[in-house]
Amino acid sequence: MSEDLKSKVEGWLDAHWDSINNRQVGTAIYDAKTWLAKVVDAGYATPTWPVKWHGLGLSSKEARVIENAFQTRGAKGWGRDRYHLGAITIFKLGSDALKTELLYELLTGPICCLLYSEPGAGSDLAGVRTRAVKDGDEFVVTGQKVWTSNAVEAEYGMLLTRTDMDAAKHQGITFFIFPMKQAGVEVRPINQITGESEFNEVFITEARVSERFIIGEYNQGWKSFQTAIASERLIMGQGITARLGGAAAGKAPALLQLAHKHGALQDPVLRQDIAQALAYRQLNALNMLRAKEEMMKNGASSLSSLGKLAMSRIQHGEARISAKILGPQVLFNETEDALNANFDGAKAYMNSIGGGTDQIQRNIIAERVLGLPKSMDVSRDIPFKDIKSG
Amino acid sequence: MLEFSGEERQAICDTFDRVLSDNANEEALRKLIETESGFDNSLWQKMAELGLTGLMVDPDYDGIGANIQEAEALMEVAGKYLYSGPFISSCVVAPVLLQASSNLSMVGPHLKNIASGNSIFAIAGCGQSGDWTEPPTVNAIQNADGWELSGSAHFITHALTASHCLVIANEGGERAVFLVDMHDYSVPAKYQSTDDKTLRLSNITFNGTQALRLEDVGEQQIAGALHLALIALAGEQVGGMRAMFEITIQYLNTRFQFGEPIGRFQALKHMAADLLVDVESASTVARIAAQAMASGSGDSVLLTYLAAFTCADNFRKVTADAIQLHGGIAYTMEHPAHLYWRRAQTGQWLYASSDKCRDLYLLEMEAKL
Repeated sequence: MSEDLKSKVEGWLDAHWDSINNRQVGTAIYDAKTWLAKVVDAGYATPTWPVKWHGLGLSSKEARVIENAFQTRGAKGWGRDRYHLGAITIFKLGSDALKTELLYELLTGPICCLLYSEPGAGSDLAGVRTRAVKDGDEFVVTGQKVWTSNAVEAEYGMLLTRTDMDAAKHQGITFFIFPMKQAGVEVRPINQITGESEFNEVFITEARVSERFIIGEYNQGWKSFQTAIASERLIMGQGITARLGGAAAGKAPALLQLAHKHGALQDPVLRQDIAQALAYRQLNALNMLRAKEEMMKNGASSLSSLGKLAMSRIQHGEARISAKILGPQVLFNETEDALNANFDGAKAYMNSIGGGTDQIQRNIIAERVLGLPKSMDVSRDIPFKDIKSG
Repeated sequence: MLEFSGEERQAICDTFDRVLSDNANEEALRKLIETESGFDNSLWQKMAELGLTGLMVDPDYDGIGANIQEAEALMEVAGKYLYSGPFISSCVVAPVLLQASSNLSMVGPHLKNIASGNSIFAIAGCGQSGDWTEPPTVNAIQNADGWELSGSAHFITHALTASHCLVIANEGGERAVFLVDMHDYSVPAKYQSTDDKTLRLSNITFNGTQALRLEDVGEQQIAGALHLALIALAGEQVGGMRAMFEITIQYLNTRFQFGEPIGRFQALKHMAADLLVDVESASTVARIAAQAMASGSGDSVLLTYLAAFTCADNFRKVTADAIQLHGGIAYTMEHPAHLYWRRAQTGQWLYASSDKCRDLYLLEMEAKL
C-alpha cells in the first residue's frame, strides 16, 4: 500500500517538480500560487483530509510517505494539514459554507497570520480589547495586535476580538478569519533583541470583516480559539523534532563540534556541562518520539505538552555553554562562533516567551496533565468592562 | 532468549506489584530496615516460586529466559516499593555473567539454584572508588588447586545474605570473573553504617581465597555486566521517582492552606510541572536503553550511560523537591519521602557515579566527531 503510494507520489513529483531548479517543471521561476494550487489539486497538501476538502482520506502514516517524497526533492506545499494553522482551524471549526468559500484560497495562498496578542493581553490572552462592532452583515474592527509574524505578507489573519463588553471575559469574544489587505490595517515591524524583525504590530482602525467569516459561534470565540491554539502547540512540538533531525543518525551535535573545535573537551567541568546539554537535547528527542508513538496508538499524549519547557532548557543551556566554550572571545561579535552564541542566547527567549511563556505552560501542565486546581482569576466572572487593566 | 510482548511484560509486573504490595509495603519495609540482614527470605522464596529470581536464567536451567527489558520493567515496580533485596546482583547481573561462561557443567547448577531461590549472588565489582569502570582492586593468581584471590572489594550489596559472590578481578593485566562460595569464606561480621537504611553494603578482603574462574568471561562481558546493572538501577529509579511524584501530586491536591489546596499556588505548580519533565524523560530513556541493549543496537552503550545519569540525577531531584513541596510533614521520619530521597542518593554512586556516566556518555558522543 505505502509502496504503491510512494511510487505514485514520486512519479507525480518527477513529472511536475524540477528539483534542480526548485520550481515547477516548464516554468522559468517558482510561482507559489500556481505550484501550491497544483499540489492542493492533487490532494498532496492535506492528504489526511477527506477528498471533499482537498484531501485523500489517508492516515497520518501514509501522509508521511507523501511528505518524505516532497522533502527529499525540496518540493514545497507538503504537510499543510499539519502546519497551516488558518486552514486547519477553518477545516476543524468552519461551516461547510465557510470551508467552500475560503479553504482552497487559504491552502493555495502564502500565509495566514495570527492576530491574538495585544499590548494589554499577553499571557492573559482572554483579555483582548480589540473591538468588533456589528454593522449590518459585517463587523467593524478597531484595536491593536502585537507579536504577529508574517503580517506583511499575510492575506488573512486569525483574529480574536471583543464583541460583548458586558459579558465576562471569556464569554464576549468572537474569533474571525480576517482579510488583511484592506484600508484600516497598518503593519509595523518590531525590532527584536536578536536584531531580527520577524514580528509586527498590527494597527486596525475601522477595518471590516463579514459575519460569514466568524470561526465557530458569535461570542463563543474563546472556545474556537482553544482548538486553534492546540494545533499551534502541536506544531511547535513537531517543529522541535523536525529541527532536531540534524543531531540524529550518527552525526555529532553542533555543540559537540563547537566544543571540539575550541578544545573544550579537555576541561572536566565543561565536559559535564556539555554532556548534560547534549543529554537534554537527546532526551527531548526521545520523549517526542514516544509522544508520537502514543499519539498514533491512543490519539493523544501528555508528553507533547512538555516539549516546549524542555526546549527552553535546551536552548538557554546550549547558548550559555557555547559562551563558556568560547571564553571571553564571546564579547566580540567578530567571529561566526561568537555571533552565533550571542544570537542563540537572545533567540532562546523566543521559545521560552513566544507562544505563551514557560510560566503559562507550567500552569497548563500542572492543571491539565497533573490535575492540580486551576489558578484563581479575579477577572474571570465579572463584566469585561469592569476589569482593571494596566 | 525469549521474546516477550508488552502485555506479557505488563502481566509479570502486575504480579510482582501484587506480591510487593502484600509483603514489601512501607510498613514491612520499615520493619525490615530494623533487622540485621535487611533481607526478607520468605518474600524471596515467593519471588522464586513465581519464577522472578530466574527471570534472566535460561529455560534450560529452569529460568524464564527474559532479557533486560523485562528486568528494567520489574525494577520499576521494585523501585516503587523501594524494594531492597539483591535482585540486581543475583537475578540480573549474575545469571548473565554465569551464562557467558563456556564451562556449562560448572555454571549450570548455580543457574538452577538462582532460579529456585536456593542461591543468592553478590557481585564484587570495585574498590574504594565505588566505580566498576576503574581497574579491579582484587588480584587473581593461579595455583595448583585453581585460583586464589587477594585484595579488597568494596560497595558489595547483601554480602551477608549471599551464598556466592562473583568477583571482578585482575588476572595478568586483564579483567576476569571469579566465583567464591561464601560458605567457604569468613564474611565480614557486619554491614557498614549507611545513610540509606534500606541499603546493605560491606567490603570484603580476600586473602588467598580459593575461587573458580568463569571461563571465557572477559572484558566485553564485564563491561556488559555494568551496563546491565546500570539499566536495572535506572528502572528502579524511574519507579521510585514516579511513586514519590504521585504521592506529592496527591498531597498538593489534598493539603489545604489559606482556604485552598496548596496545589493552586503557582510556586508549587511550576515546580511540579518541571518535575514531570524529569520523570517522563527518565521513564523514556530507561526503557529505550533497555530496548537498545536487548536488540543489540549500535547506540546501546551511549543510551545506557544516558539512562544511568539521567535516572540517577532525576530521582534525586524529584525526591529532593518532593520534600520541599510537602513542607514540614516530609521533614519527619514517619513520612516516606526521606526513604526515597536517601535511596536516590545511593543510586547516584552505585556501580558508577552519575558524573562518571555523564562523562562516559560524552565519550561515546565524541566517537561521532
